[in-house]
Amino acid sequence: MSAIEQQGVALGGLEQAELPVARPTRRRMPTPRAAVLRGLGFVFVVALLVFMVGPLVWLAVRAFSGIWQYPRFWPSHWTLQWWRTVFDDKSLGRSMKLSFEFAPVVTVASAAICLPAAYAFSRFNFPGRRVLLVSLFATNAFPKIGLYISMAGVFYSLNLMGTFLGVVIVQLIGTIVFMTWIPTAAFSAIPRSLEEAARDVGAGPLRVFFRVTFPLAAPGIFVAMILSFLAAFDEAQGTFLVGIPNYITMPTEMYTLVLNYPEQAAAVFSILLAIPSVVLMSLARKHVMGGKLAEGFQIR
Amino acid sequence: MVLPPVAVVAVFIGFPVGAAIAYTLGRAGGPNSTVALLAQRQHIVHHGVTTAAYREVLGNPHVRADLWATVWVTLVTIVVVVLLSWAIGLYLRLSDTRISRIVSALSVIPLFIPVVIASYAILTFYASQGFIKTLAYHLGWHSFPTLGYTLTAVAIGEIWVNVPFGVLMMSSGLNSVPNALIEAARDSGASLPRTVRSVLLPMNVIPTVIVATFTGIYVLGSFTVPYLTGPSAPNLMGVSMANFFSAFNQPQQAEVMAMIVFVLAVGIGTIYVWANVRASKRASITS
Amino acid sequence: MTDAQTPAGLLIDRVSKDLGGRTIVSDMQLEVHAGELTCLLGPSGCGKTTTLRMIGGFLQPDAGAILIDGSDISRLPPEKRPTAMVFQNYALWPHMTVFKNVSFGLRLRKLPKAEIRERVENVLELVGLTHHIHSYPARISGGEQQRVALARALVLEPKVLLLDEPLSNLDAKLRVRVREDIREIQQRIGITTIFVTHDQDEALSLSDRIAVMSGGRVEQYADPRTLYRHPATHFVASFVGAMNFYTGTLGGDGFRLAGGAQVPVDSLSSRTPGEYEIGVRPEDVTVSSNGDGGAEASVVREIQRGHYKELVLDVGGDEMRAFVAPDLPAVDRLRVRFSRGVLYRDGVLQEQSESPVAVR
Repeated sequence: MSAIEQQGVALGGLEQAELPVARPTRRRMPTPRAAVLRGLGFVFVVALLVFMVGPLVWLAVRAFSGIWQYPRFWPSHWTLQWWRTVFDDKSLGRSMKLSFEFAPVVTVASAAICLPAAYAFSRFNFPGRRVLLVSLFATNAFPKIGLYISMAGVFYSLNLMGTFLGVVIVQLIGTIVFMTWIPTAAFSAIPRSLEEAARDVGAGPLRVFFRVTFPLAAPGIFVAMILSFLAAFDEAQGTFLVGIPNYITMPTEMYTLVLNYPEQAAAVFSILLAIPSVVLMSLARKHVMGGKLAEGFQIR
Repeated sequence: MVLPPVAVVAVFIGFPVGAAIAYTLGRAGGPNSTVALLAQRQHIVHHGVTTAAYREVLGNPHVRADLWATVWVTLVTIVVVVLLSWAIGLYLRLSDTRISRIVSALSVIPLFIPVVIASYAILTFYASQGFIKTLAYHLGWHSFPTLGYTLTAVAIGEIWVNVPFGVLMMSSGLNSVPNALIEAARDSGASLPRTVRSVLLPMNVIPTVIVATFTGIYVLGSFTVPYLTGPSAPNLMGVSMANFFSAFNQPQQAEVMAMIVFVLAVGIGTIYVWANVRASKRASITS
Repeated sequence: MTDAQTPAGLLIDRVSKDLGGRTIVSDMQLEVHAGELTCLLGPSGCGKTTTLRMIGGFLQPDAGAILIDGSDISRLPPEKRPTAMVFQNYALWPHMTVFKNVSFGLRLRKLPKAEIRERVENVLELVGLTHHIHSYPARISGGEQQRVALARALVLEPKVLLLDEPLSNLDAKLRVRVREDIREIQQRIGITTIFVTHDQDEALSLSDRIAVMSGGRVEQYADPRTLYRHPATHFVASFVGAMNFYTGTLGGDGFRLAGGAQVPVDSLSSRTPGEYEIGVRPEDVTVSSNGDGGAEASVVREIQRGHYKELVLDVGGDEMRAFVAPDLPAVDRLRVRFSRGVLYRDGVLQEQSESPVAVR
């Protein structure tokens, strides 16, 4: 792989950086084939737009619709009454508050547990390292329901059912893979010589970690934390199983809502539930797109 | 330092999974006793093990239908996600225009949306009075099938949810191929499609495997998407597992189904691990 | 491209290229004769790589045309051009063996298997790599990868061979050997070659002609000797080789530096008195310890360079560098004169129509 990496570095060179890959010559007058290709490209983009965004727009419109009869594209009557319905419902408010309590707690706990491990995975090549990395991945492979059912047994015997800690643990489990893999890749990407240079000028190991290693790995850790926050925020099944009747979070509420409330109220609730995700992911967007997520999934 | 997460996984995943295996084989003692207390239709032995629960579940035609549905939806989702990710990833790699930036933004939207909401949105979009039906109606196609509450809707939902990961993975892989390697192929006389086939494709086997395996494992274990968008039966195993547990009060059967899905997922996971190990072995030889 | 055994000329005709709102190459004119090796030499950002990529077809010129053998190729995509490129980092496909790498272009042309085999073996023999035919690129050394890249380009028998800083990733010793190999192979098959480099040493030692580029223009296009002895502009003079520069006045008895020292000059590009900038190569600074009429100088520092010695001198407040024999005894004070100088005004060489006459 070293050859590839060298070449990758070289591409950063001044003159080549801005040059796109050679494309077939664009003639002034498009040939029929080029026109067909461009047309197909346009159709593809429109189809992608409808496929990706259509459902969300359709749902969002619903949240403001009074009367909407098939087969009309838009409601004939607009209203804000569904927003009032949702905001007036005390239990919905409580579930929102709960969601915003659990997710940060879970994220911080997960970071505290997993980041030291991520550092160890990236810096020390101990026996069984890869096996352990992969076995964390096994947490993803076992279907969640099956896991929750048999976890219930463990939780009962530890008196965790219906407790705050129980819900935190259930949500935490879904974050461990992100929180270990992505920061591991982020730490591995930092050349060891940078740390050695800091040691060389007299910084102790802890100072090196907090002044050199951590800031450089921060984007990857940031992505991992946001993904963990969202994973915890969106976790419904396990929370439902462990948390009832004391702890009903927003996504758990959503399941009942979809079945029991009018569609419009569910749409309003959906928008509310989506806001933190959209905000947080927008913050992390640059790093997620920049490959921090993808790097985490290649075991080295 | 590695201990805490491994311990958490061992206690809260490893141990329960071990208990689940024992339970499916007929052992209801220890950690399984609480669950087993109220369950119905259990196959219990006090010495040794029994495969009675497995035989019952696999003999159940409804479960078999669910299993096939799961396998089909998983395969379709994998194929479509891999193709879409490659198409979008290639497009983003080879062109840098306003349209390509729009495509790149579009393809990661699902990352921003909780799965519950996505499933619900997709359900309403493809429902009997949803946008697709409305559009078909206005185009004069009155008999257009309703996709909501069908396995097609489930597949659509799974694809929607998995596209961002696929695109991120593929573009990261494709972007790590230096321009010079592509240009060298063009210079040798290869057309663009031939360059893709001879250079980009063989150099991106690993990302492709990762996309395929993670998508597959995700779909196999998924609950929310099929629960909200799928039919009552046959539906994916995740949903029927939950039904066996909560509606029929048969946790042992639910666990058996979980084991079956787990075996499938591990099968897929093995491909992922094998591909990664092979790649890093090759890398360690060369560097 | 199989018919391209006879070398062909290359003409870059008034080519311009803008990238990202910046003019990288502007109105460039260059003619390369058939079978000639031309270096594009210049600092990074001067447009040399962009020019090479336009010849290879990886970029389209905004204006002007590129002609090979008299036919305009500027609108052809790279795969349709009779050019072959050796990339800076060799760009060997890591998933293909040496044989697969070299034979790729031939396989695309659907040649019979036996012929492919023969041609690959021939070209690998030419670059001396037959024993690595089934190795993967990552398994062979940098110098060998370099030669595979060369073989991959040559096997297609292109009319024009393009080399993009092909030696920049090799260590110093290997670089000298490989550049001699490249020159030897190029001359043996007589292929028209464009070689991009920022290393003046490399350019001087292997080119038939060198085009020194700066700011997207060709500053001077000449053979290495002319380039070194008669640099057409201040930029060329300072970029190619070491050069002492002084502003001052040329009079009947020598050149008066701004600091006041009067230095006798034996040979000059122009004899018309006036204000100039004078360029003097360190080897053209003659020193003597007995007073024979040179300017007074004190020795600031001596640097041993192996087969010669470099002196850093102070001549009436101006710093001057001189290359002298390594065994010259160390002294504090000397006298200097210029055995040869070139004169510039507004950065352009001032040269009299007849060649400069030595006045010994």
